[in-house]
Amino acid sequence: MKSFLEIHGMSYSYPAAKAPVLRDISLRIHAGECVCITGPSGCGKTTLLMAVQGLLKDGYRPDAVRIHPSGFGLDTGMVFQNADTQILCTTVRDETAFWPVNLGMPPDFIEDAVESALHEVGLAGFEARHVDALSAGQKHRLTIASVLSMRPGLILLDEPGAQLDAGGKEKLVRILKRLKYQGHALMIADHDLHPYRSVADGCVLMKNGGIDRTLTRIPLEYGMPDRLPESVPDHSYKTFGPPVVDVRDISLSGSEDRTVFDGLSLQVQQGEFVHLYGINGQGKSTLLRCLCGFARPDSGAIRTADVDSPRPHLLAGKAALLLQNPQKQIFEDTVFDEAAFSLKRSGLSAERIRERVMWALEFCEVRHLADRSPMMLSFGEQHRVALASVIAAEPRLLLLDEPFSGLDLDQRRRLLTLLRQLCRDRKVSIVMASHNPGSDMGCADRRLVLADGKITSESGYEC
Amino acid sequence: MLWMCGMCTAACMVKSVHGLLLLLVVHVAGYFLARLGVSELWRDIRFFLIQMVIVTGLYMLRDGIPDGIWPGIRTSLQVLLFFLPGALFLRTTPSSRIMSSLRRFMPRRLAFFVFISFRFLPYFAGEFHDISMIQQLRGVRLTPRYWIDPRNWRDIFHCMVIPLMVRAIKTADQAAMSAVARGFGKRYGKDTDSGEAE
Repeated sequence: MKSFLEIHGMSYSYPAAKAPVLRDISLRIHAGECVCITGPSGCGKTTLLMAVQGLLKDGYRPDAVRIHPSGFGLDTGMVFQNADTQILCTTVRDETAFWPVNLGMPPDFIEDAVESALHEVGLAGFEARHVDALSAGQKHRLTIASVLSMRPGLILLDEPGAQLDAGGKEKLVRILKRLKYQGHALMIADHDLHPYRSVADGCVLMKNGGIDRTLTRIPLEYGMPDRLPESVPDHSYKTFGPPVVDVRDISLSGSEDRTVFDGLSLQVQQGEFVHLYGINGQGKSTLLRCLCGFARPDSGAIRTADVDSPRPHLLAGKAALLLQNPQKQIFEDTVFDEAAFSLKRSGLSAERIRERVMWALEFCEVRHLADRSPMMLSFGEQHRVALASVIAAEPRLLLLDEPFSGLDLDQRRRLLTLLRQLCRDRKVSIVMASHNPGSDMGCADRRLVLADGKITSESGYEC
Repeated sequence: MLWMCGMCTAACMVKSVHGLLLLLVVHVAGYFLARLGVSELWRDIRFFLIQMVIVTGLYMLRDGIPDGIWPGIRTSLQVLLFFLPGALFLRTTPSSRIMSSLRRFMPRRLAFFVFISFRFLPYFAGEFHDISMIQQLRGVRLTPRYWIDPRNWRDIFHCMVIPLMVRAIKTADQAAMSAVARGFGKRYGKDTDSGEAE
């Protein structure tokens, strides 16, 4: 069988960088084949997809990537990781038509292309909808439609599963399967390959920019493990004193009279690790915001770290928040200053500050980076610096919102181990929100499910 | 487009409070006719309400309480009514129509830059909100009084503007990539390699 895409001995380095990001990559993909690419963060997965799409500027031999003509309209199309930054138009129709319009296709062609692309991803009938009115899953499917409108023979997807909950991933895989049977070749770069097991024909493991191994099926260790060996469920929290988080019967209605919370109650004890699970759009982030006083419920009471009806400035130093993207909180010149930032505002002596910062950096395994600029670090390192900078103030409560996206499986394991230690040794309470029920890998003391404005079920782990 | 310009001009011309109130009623009706709800209206005007309080307050400071109220309300209403048609326009007009209007008086590429900059404003408002949230929990007092004091500006620049700029550059990069990958600039046989500014 003739291959559709052939990459032969491709290397690439970014113009200013010394070390190459891609080393001697050779790869073949046939029509109707789905290949998953995985490897640690920074191994060059995204760069490889960009090279195939032709988005890399000078530095590699263009003849290294050869695409044989197929029956499809165009050769390649790429779906990027972040739906919010790649959707450029305001309506579903315009976004889907963006590519054909740019290529100056005739109106009839555009009409048909938009209709068939939206049908393919299950968004038929949404044409006039404003993109901001779509859910996270729908937005992601729109990004696929916006590439399908030109029917490229090879579709490249960069971390398509990162922002999707279980239901969203299931829909994605159904779409991918259909495309595959229609003869499209697929290249998927992602960390957790578990969802793609039923659609993948092969798996490429990358390491340091090169291909480490090529396999015909997805190995088990590239799915999220159910439980980490380090995870020791700890039920001793039940004996501790007053709860660090005490939410009683709160209700909140959002825009368009949608109910966000409907009589929700939640208690978190000192030193307890709670995993707050809910599918996209159930109000996990809003609940975290309520806990630190950035949103107020319509009724009910919240008490966080002994502060009633919390306001952010009253919680400074007592509660800490870590969002999905560490770039939102990094700004100092050195990693040390970054971690010392909140301590400097608490009036501690320089000696004490240094001591605490060093502890936090050591704890998060970034002490060797203390003099480096946090902006120049890799995503995984930035993530750990951000964590160090919030725990240096020794908060009683640590809130994490989707902390795993962008981290590879190994980094996720390390993060969970750190969080587990914080709970056990420092008696910090942790509330971690995520859309993936298995993401705590058994490290949390309790897993709460947020659905329909309430916490619907609780599951502790058996000892 | 014409409606928008007309309404903006009307907002500048009309001087009586009654006339302005009438205009306001027309706008609210426009929102409901466009099948937009109270929440959209509220989201569009809430920042202007702050503006109204400040402007009216300043008028009252200058002219005294009874004399300053009406001129203050009039001026701030004018400001609000000047911007509302634009907000309604952005909410109701699909991007392709905005683009084609812009292209009448500027080249296609520039029109796209202008359009994208507006398109991503709400996204940056969200980013700004997230960043301020984190920094407040880290001990920065981002109260209005803090913002006004020039001694704090360096601090604000550091902890708010730098992360926001980093995010803006990354976002512009990703948006540009998304445009180039889908044939933007191909029609003219040229390569687009400059990222859009925020």
